[in-house]
Amino acid sequence: PACIENKSLSYGAEFRRFSVDRVKPGKFEEFSRLIMHIHRIANMELMIGYADVHGDLLPINNDDNFCKAVSMAHPLLRIFIQRQEEVDYTSFGTNTLTRRKKAVVTMRNDVNRKRPHIRIGMPQDFRPVSSIIDVDILPESHRRVRLYRHGSDKPLGFYIRDGTSVRVTPHGLEKVPGIFISRMVPGGLAEGTGLLAVNDEVLEVNGIEVSGKSLDQVTDMMIANSHNLIVTVKPVNQRNNVVRSSRISGSSGQSSDSGGSTGYPSLSVGGGGGALSAGAGGVALESDEEADIVIESSVKRPSRRSNASVASAASTASPAPPSPPSRPPSVVSTASFHSQLSLNGSTNHQHHHHHLSYQLHRDLNLQNGPQTSNPALRHSNGSLHKILSSLRTDPRHSLALPRGGVEEDGTVITL
Amino acid sequence: MMKFRFRRQGNDPQREKIKQELFAFNKTVEHGFPHQPSSLAFDPRLQIMAIGTKSGAVKIYGAPGVEFTGLHKDTAAVTQIQFLPAQGRLLSLLDDNSIHLWELVGGAPREVGGARREPTVGLQEVRSYCLPGRPGIENCSTSRVTVLLLLGSCDLLCVGTEGGGVHFLDLPRLSLRENQSLLQDQVIQSLPDDYRCGKSLGPVESLQEHPQQPGVILIGYSRGLVVLWDLSTRHVDHVFLGKQQLESLVWERSGKSFVSSHNDGGYSVWAVTSGNPYTQQPVSSTIPYGPFPCKAISKILLRTTVSGAPMLLYSGGMPRASYGDRHCLTVQQDKEHVTLDFTSRVIDFFTIHSVEREQEFDEPSAVVVLLDEELVVVDLHTPGWPTLPTPYLAPLHSSAITCSCHVSSVPPKLWDRVLQAGRAQRQAPQQQQQQQQRGSWPICGGKNLAPSAKQQELLLTGHEDGTVRFWDASGVALTPIYKLSTAGVFHTDCDPADDPQGPDDDPDDRREEEDEWPPFRKVGCFDPYSDDPRLGIQKITLCKYSNKLVVAGTAGQVLILALSDERSDHQVEVSVVDLLQDREGFTWKGHGRLDPRARPGPFPPGFQPQLLVQCMPPASVTAVTLHAEWHLVAFGTSHGFGLFDYQRRSAVLARCTLHPNDSLAMEGPLSRVKSLKKSLRQSFRRIRKSRVSGKKRPVPTTMPTSKVQEANAALAEQEDVAPVQRRIEPRSADDSLSGVVRCLCFADTFLRDGTHHGPTLWAGTNSGSVYAYALEVPGVGSGPGRGGEPGSGSGGGGGGGGGAGSSVEALLGKEIQLMHRAPVVWICVLDGRGRPLPEPYEASRDLAAAPDMSTAHSVLIASEEQLKVFSLPKVSAKTKFKLTAHEGCRVRRVALVALSSAVQEDYSEHTLVCLTNLGDMHLFNVPALRPQVRYDCIRKEDISGIASCVFTKTGQGFYLISPSEYERFSLSAKVITEPLCSLQLDRPLEHASASDGPTAQPRANGTHKNQTDQAEGQAEDLQSGLSSPAQDSPLDSPLSFADLTLDSTGELTVEDVRDFLTTVDEVENNMRNIKEEEGRTAGILIN
Repeated sequence: PACIENKSLSYGAEFRRFSVDRVKPGKFEEFSRLIMHIHRIANMELMIGYADVHGDLLPINNDDNFCKAVSMAHPLLRIFIQRQEEVDYTSFGTNTLTRRKKAVVTMRNDVNRKRPHIRIGMPQDFRPVSSIIDVDILPESHRRVRLYRHGSDKPLGFYIRDGTSVRVTPHGLEKVPGIFISRMVPGGLAEGTGLLAVNDEVLEVNGIEVSGKSLDQVTDMMIANSHNLIVTVKPVNQRNNVVRSSRISGSSGQSSDSGGSTGYPSLSVGGGGGALSAGAGGVALESDEEADIVIESSVKRPSRRSNASVASAASTASPAPPSPPSRPPSVVSTASFHSQLSLNGSTNHQHHHHHLSYQLHRDLNLQNGPQTSNPALRHSNGSLHKILSSLRTDPRHSLALPRGGVEEDGTVITL
Repeated sequence: MMKFRFRRQGNDPQREKIKQELFAFNKTVEHGFPHQPSSLAFDPRLQIMAIGTKSGAVKIYGAPGVEFTGLHKDTAAVTQIQFLPAQGRLLSLLDDNSIHLWELVGGAPREVGGARREPTVGLQEVRSYCLPGRPGIENCSTSRVTVLLLLGSCDLLCVGTEGGGVHFLDLPRLSLRENQSLLQDQVIQSLPDDYRCGKSLGPVESLQEHPQQPGVILIGYSRGLVVLWDLSTRHVDHVFLGKQQLESLVWERSGKSFVSSHNDGGYSVWAVTSGNPYTQQPVSSTIPYGPFPCKAISKILLRTTVSGAPMLLYSGGMPRASYGDRHCLTVQQDKEHVTLDFTSRVIDFFTIHSVEREQEFDEPSAVVVLLDEELVVVDLHTPGWPTLPTPYLAPLHSSAITCSCHVSSVPPKLWDRVLQAGRAQRQAPQQQQQQQQRGSWPICGGKNLAPSAKQQELLLTGHEDGTVRFWDASGVALTPIYKLSTAGVFHTDCDPADDPQGPDDDPDDRREEEDEWPPFRKVGCFDPYSDDPRLGIQKITLCKYSNKLVVAGTAGQVLILALSDERSDHQVEVSVVDLLQDREGFTWKGHGRLDPRARPGPFPPGFQPQLLVQCMPPASVTAVTLHAEWHLVAFGTSHGFGLFDYQRRSAVLARCTLHPNDSLAMEGPLSRVKSLKKSLRQSFRRIRKSRVSGKKRPVPTTMPTSKVQEANAALAEQEDVAPVQRRIEPRSADDSLSGVVRCLCFADTFLRDGTHHGPTLWAGTNSGSVYAYALEVPGVGSGPGRGGEPGSGSGGGGGGGGGAGSSVEALLGKEIQLMHRAPVVWICVLDGRGRPLPEPYEASRDLAAAPDMSTAHSVLIASEEQLKVFSLPKVSAKTKFKLTAHEGCRVRRVALVALSSAVQEDYSEHTLVCLTNLGDMHLFNVPALRPQVRYDCIRKEDISGIASCVFTKTGQGFYLISPSEYERFSLSAKVITEPLCSLQLDRPLEHASASDGPTAQPRANGTHKNQTDQAEGQAEDLQSGLSSPAQDSPLDSPLSFADLTLDSTGELTVEDVRDFLTTVDEVENNMRNIKEEEGRTAGILIN
């Protein structure tokens, strides 16, 4: 280990970045000890995992897979540490699709079984990055996905292409031109949601049908709506219609465009004061308008004249945004780990917030907090707890918060 | 909510009626020279000329303003045209071997916007015919038509073919006279044995009717044989046993002799005697440009004159080795011999001469030469054979057009002075010809019925060679008026030491050439070669009241010119403005700046340069605006923008707009080349890849038996090639070329506060930034009590203006960053009543209604993606329309035009016109930005057409349909400039059925979208499409109140609070405005 870097976040947690000799990584035992030492963890059975290039979570438990893991780093390797007893082994795997399917099944049967409840953070601490909307009014085979960008520097991250789609018409099957998703940028927002996939057919962009429009037109429409993009797709894989299956279990049929609607797959923590000041978060999120920034020169210091909905957007322009510090670019690829698990974050750090509050909550229950926790956090956890318990009573939420929660269970610390 | 929306959507019939009276889309006339002409014809009786093009268009021209256009259904080249004299009919032969008969028909009376319009005469295809191939012979080239001859009686068409046969078609039915065809075998029988030698005679090259004996025709075969054939007796009268390969034939008027031109560059004169039916040798044979091998004489004409020697005109025949690449037409008479040397290929030519039988001589008055790129008319009456200026068909592209600018309602004084300057300019090269009486335009058939233009309009075109041409765009004929060259101000590489502003054909040169053989004379103005690409004109703006012209070019040069009637010998002052300011770390890799010439003068009468501002780095100027009343000019490049006070000769402001990450901007124009290289490389790679994958494809063991399978396999291979992908990514701040200044605008408005208005400058960039500067212009009041007239008016000299010693100052007032970051295309300030501010001088000289300064102004910012109106002085969004989000199209061109009602006098509306990248026009009212109507205009593939579009203030427009042609169109139901003319025909004019009147005429060149009656329907569709977004969440609304109500966060300082209070006022104002707006117009939702 050459250098150790500490990153301190607003919650006081510590994330560690350290280097390992790529050529001579050494033994797993040493590595395990190193991690225990760095995090000052003692007397605890740990499960160490890493995210491979495909974003799959794979275990590190012997020399071989440790070497493999180190060789996978390009240049950063993300290591996940979980308490042994909390490891959900279903989350390890190579095939994302089958794993997803399993997760759905598990979710249906296991609601009351092993896991007592699913905990999420306070709504205002989170900012959605994507949602499935209008489930009730769309045909089962379609999916309307909303991507929230909120001024994050994460790319939307997908490509579209021309193609042909087969439609059933009174005259039989007919080939018609269509627009398809052709590629996902690893680590992009689109991939991170897990709601869009390559070869999904794009049917509408922000409510406007794309049939009859050229690829360039659709591109322009999407870019013009990029700050609040709503894409209706016909997923190429129709078996994964999670939203529909969740409706079977009696979740309310009513659906709205609001943040808390059915099939809301996951949330992640908002970055700065902006989201908090929004008060009724829904309003801020709903406003499709991003106001333009006007800087008056008579006032030397750039004053923010935008409205609440813009707070996040404005942060990109204001000189010193309180929002998440910019990620080192090298982390981009590792972020895809989360995307495969359908846990969405606009940045890595937002993820960490998520895991952290989550973990702290558990720690409170278990009276077994890690040494890094501080009083301030505990305080915030109190209110978090209240919110969570109120949420728990709503069956819709416990049902609808699916795979992300299921799979992200357990203590996760990122190095 | 939904109900409300639908109720409102039910269009208000009253409003619909007004819309019909205001808006109407018509493509009215094509200006300039037809692209790729391929054939020419003349009707001496009606004195009209026809030009056919490679795209299948036939255009008829007569007197200026008399124009008819027809378009063949198939886009095949029109290889020949023949008029049926005096009938208003013509025959065309297409490349696909079909013959078509066209007819002028009277159109049905039309109604546009409720106003009745004169019926127009249109050109209509009546019949077509295709010569059948010989039965049993699959190779149809034998029946390919080579020449057409219309007999003087106009009832029979002789058709010569490749196979050597001559066929006869009855007119006007276009039916073949069966069994009357004259086949080669029949001719060969009448030949002497020694001439036959078993070979075919070759295709029919020429058919000419005997000038004195109707029904006797001269048939020339390619091998050289010429036969005089009597149609009535069906008998060979005479045989001329030519040995040289034949190109063309022409009769002498008397019919006693004819001339043949040949492949070897020679011509022969043959005597027609009644004795011996065989003539072995011509009377004389000449190779004019011999003795070395010469190129063929493709066409020859012989015209007799009263004065004695006949005139001979022929194209080609140049010495192959030394001048084989020249495009020449020789005119010779007696000792006079001129070789007209053109810059493009000669397609065809004809002479204008007397055709009456009684006349003894042809007495040619002019020769009309159709070239690839222009039409040249040479006056043969006037000694010296000078060229005649063409009143239309001007080669707009004599140097490639780089930009254009339209000036409506030009004041008569300016108009006259420009005309005069142009006249002086044209006379200059002719001075050594002692100012002869010029011949008048010889093609003068028909009568122009169009009412004379109420106001004069100027179209200014900027060219690649640094010239600006002024065109009279008031009527149907686009006439050149004046040409301004800016090249003389600079020192260029290939600079002749002397007068650069000199005329095209220098008298000295000509004198030198006189000793030369052949005696070349350079004719025509098509000259696509530019001395220096940096001279290219990028932006033009003209103040029609102060006669100040600003011309900006490719190397960052901004020239300020003033109109003067006197020749001047002054020095041009030069200023350099550094737009990078103190930005470091940038190096410009593009071209250097132009070196100003030490002594550029003297300047001839006309626009004379006063001042040269050069931007550094010398990137192409991307925006220019002029406020002559404040003596300010603003200019922008890809690096920033500057403001210059040309009265005090001082730079007021320079602002860098570069984004720190934008390195591409510094590379200069070369970076484009690089990216092109890259894309080429990629496409080659793709091709190679596809080839490789094709080879790799395992050969199926079972042979693909059917062709279909093979085709499918090929198709599958094609699909292997990676399809075109588009990345979906929002624009970011550091997109390349984000600093390009796209538009600039001056306005007298409220920027600081709501009570004091004053001069402002607005600049918009490629990355969605708008900078607004408050200007302190001495003498221009900044408040309700305005200062007096600014000093010295249009005075050319320096000297202080109003406030002595004080200078213009600029203070940054606002910086607006549009969140969608799309390029800002256009900015305009609207007054309290939502109307655009008047032009400079218009208000102070009472030339236009004064702007409303009592209520709040607003600024309309059009980006590529959306239109948005912000209130002033506090820039808060009032209304907007998101075009791209709805339609997937991007705004390319924007203009604010005043459209008058075709029915109600004195009713007009200001309408915002947007031309998008899909080539359609969207019309919006202002300031509510409600979509009114949409028209398809230009094909979306025609990028240069879209980029070249320019609008007039009254709702007309121009765009290039080819490098040499402007299409004129009108969005107004009232102001339409279209050909309205009549012809005196020998036959009664038939009337076309109302359905296919000339309004639905197809346009030439095929660059147009099909314009049918669907425009109205589309408008309706658009309306409903816009008014009912598919989902119920208010994704977008043209009138969003969210903008106003949410504007209360942010840090509030004392000043901010004050601002905030004014905003509340404005909110109320806006509400009131919007309510008023609602009362007047309908058809738009309010969410």
